[in-house]
Amino acid sequence: MTEQERLELFMERIRRGEKIEATDWMPDEYRQLLIKLIHMHAVSEIMGAYPEKEWVPKAPSLRRKLAIMAKVQDEMGHGQLLLRVVEDLAKPLGKNREDLIEDIYHHRVKFHNVFHMEARTWADAGVIGWLVDGAAIINQASLLSTSYGPYARVLKRICAEESFHMQHGENIILALAMGTPEQKRMLQESLDYWWESLLFFFGPPEVTPAAERMLYYRIRTLTNEELRQKFLDKYVPRILSIGLTIPDPQLHYDKELKRWIYTMPDWEKFGEIVKKNNGPKSRERIELRRQAHEGGRWVREAMLTKTAV
Amino acid sequence: MMSADGKVEYGVYEVFVQKSHADHHVHVGSLMAPSPDLAMQLARENFLRRDSAVNLWIVPREYIYTTPYSSDFFAREMDRKYREVGGYTENGRLWRLFKEKTLTMEEIVSHIEET
Amino acid sequence: MESAEQAQKNEAYLLALRDLLYQLADDELTLGHRDSEWLGLSPDIEGDVAFSSVAQDEVGHAVFYFELLHELGEKDPDRLAFARDLSERKNAVLLERENGDWAYSIARHFMYDVWDDLRLEALTESSYVPLAKGAIKIRREEYYHLLHMHSYFVRLGQAGKEAKKRLELAVKAIWKDIGGIFGFGVYEQKLVEFNIITKPAEELKQRWVKRMQQAFAEAQLTWPDSWEPVQYDGRRGEHSPELEQLLQTMSEVYRIDPTARW
Repeated sequence: MTEQERLELFMERIRRGEKIEATDWMPDEYRQLLIKLIHMHAVSEIMGAYPEKEWVPKAPSLRRKLAIMAKVQDEMGHGQLLLRVVEDLAKPLGKNREDLIEDIYHHRVKFHNVFHMEARTWADAGVIGWLVDGAAIINQASLLSTSYGPYARVLKRICAEESFHMQHGENIILALAMGTPEQKRMLQESLDYWWESLLFFFGPPEVTPAAERMLYYRIRTLTNEELRQKFLDKYVPRILSIGLTIPDPQLHYDKELKRWIYTMPDWEKFGEIVKKNNGPKSRERIELRRQAHEGGRWVREAMLTKTAV
Repeated sequence: MMSADGKVEYGVYEVFVQKSHADHHVHVGSLMAPSPDLAMQLARENFLRRDSAVNLWIVPREYIYTTPYSSDFFAREMDRKYREVGGYTENGRLWRLFKEKTLTMEEIVSHIEET
Repeated sequence: MESAEQAQKNEAYLLALRDLLYQLADDELTLGHRDSEWLGLSPDIEGDVAFSSVAQDEVGHAVFYFELLHELGEKDPDRLAFARDLSERKNAVLLERENGDWAYSIARHFMYDVWDDLRLEALTESSYVPLAKGAIKIRREEYYHLLHMHSYFVRLGQAGKEAKKRLELAVKAIWKDIGGIFGFGVYEQKLVEFNIITKPAEELKQRWVKRMQQAFAEAQLTWPDSWEPVQYDGRRGEHSPELEQLLQTMSEVYRIDPTARW
């Protein structure tokens, strides 16, 4: 079979809606795109633990303390599941877990803009749990139909656990929204701070060449803008219902265009954060990951030492 | 094991969970661990944080033998209704001639469970 | 004593029981809190997930003990966890120390878990029935902790080189505080007399030493000489600045408005 024939057969499978498996033949481009996407997803889960981790020791009740620990733990667990998928894809290229983690502090892999931001208050921890997770859930739910089987399977597990995260986030927010004036003020102030990041989350509206290829291979099925619209569909009414003000006077649903109109955020700022790791907390959190990984190397080495049992 | 260039490299273990004594072990995913005993301990928290189980298997990846995905290994193209319940729908009609009904497994099981 | 109601009728019994429950609750809460600080920082991702479960278990056990205290007429569990002064805390000082490196965290955890296992065993037939019932459940959950910590402890020691050196340093640091985990505080005698705990502390300590010496041998570590008396006795409410800092952090949000629902 020529390379061309193999490729055609492969694309036929994709078009038929079949799932591709790790051991199947796949075009290099498909493998590279998967690695890029899932590596970023995995690293976002792991780096996503840090902003909330800062609030684990400060959670204001025993129940909240337990719940936020469980939630951050789940995020690490999702990172684990996703890393395993990337590891199997990257193995033929000679990369393993160590390389994939080191890529974070060698700035060779990006992670979601939201995790470059500061979590300043308990309300921020709540908004992360509610809206940042909400955005992530929209994204992950849309990936359930991805053409890559191993990714689809771990996403199924991840989405099941995210349904707990949704309740967890909503519960914190509802407590604040129904709380004292000070709690309400904290919550509004937090939404004001996070709104731009939430719009950033799904990426710029234009379909980049890489995104186009992902759609072509059915790795992804929706564009950035389609996802953002779905997020606004689900979350704007809820945000308004608890008496919060969204800090965008332009924001409204255009019934004729059947889409949300919003003030375009500054996409240059977004690039600065995500591509150059120049967000308010980028350096500090990347350094934490470096310390955890490098600082734990002696443990990993020791655990591998063959010993007399 | 350490790889040739001295990188730390844990082994890959596939994880199988048995939910109850009435179930077989089911594959749930894989993890990296330095040794089988640690793999077992880590599997509990990486895969059973919420669900309960009665047993856990971990198997080094290299011991898993697998079929290819797209091959004719699983091909069954011809009619095999003769070996399925659905192949005997006429029984219902025939029993009606004798004023009786088809006997089903569910009916037997529920009859046995009756006290 | 079948219930809180009965226990509350006997002043001396109640005093001793409450003091022990505070020790148990504070031990678990403090260690669980320290464990949670490893989130996102453990040597590998799978281990990070597992360690967090241990942290949650410990805090969960603290919740159980605080609930028992609440039933006995003390304030609600959140107030007990978040709003008691430093001098009211009864945890062993060892557990409030900062995490240090992985060797320190593992060794401390393992040594405490062995102690906790012995203490729980001596509580499974406590005259205070609600405590006895809980001890049986908690001890079953602690099985995994013991197994997990033992694996790391032994492996780090056996690995030699840096790991062993770090473990030896950890043991040395722990030895300064270790004396503080044994003992049941000011009501020790009463607790045993009332059969709230069914074994004297001294006996449990001897058994701890035996079990620990075995583990040291497995890990190929030398058993250090006996420990000095502790600088602070946590069981009497004496604590290091490290606990003060921990409590500051832990109650930061709670203190914004202790009456609010968070």
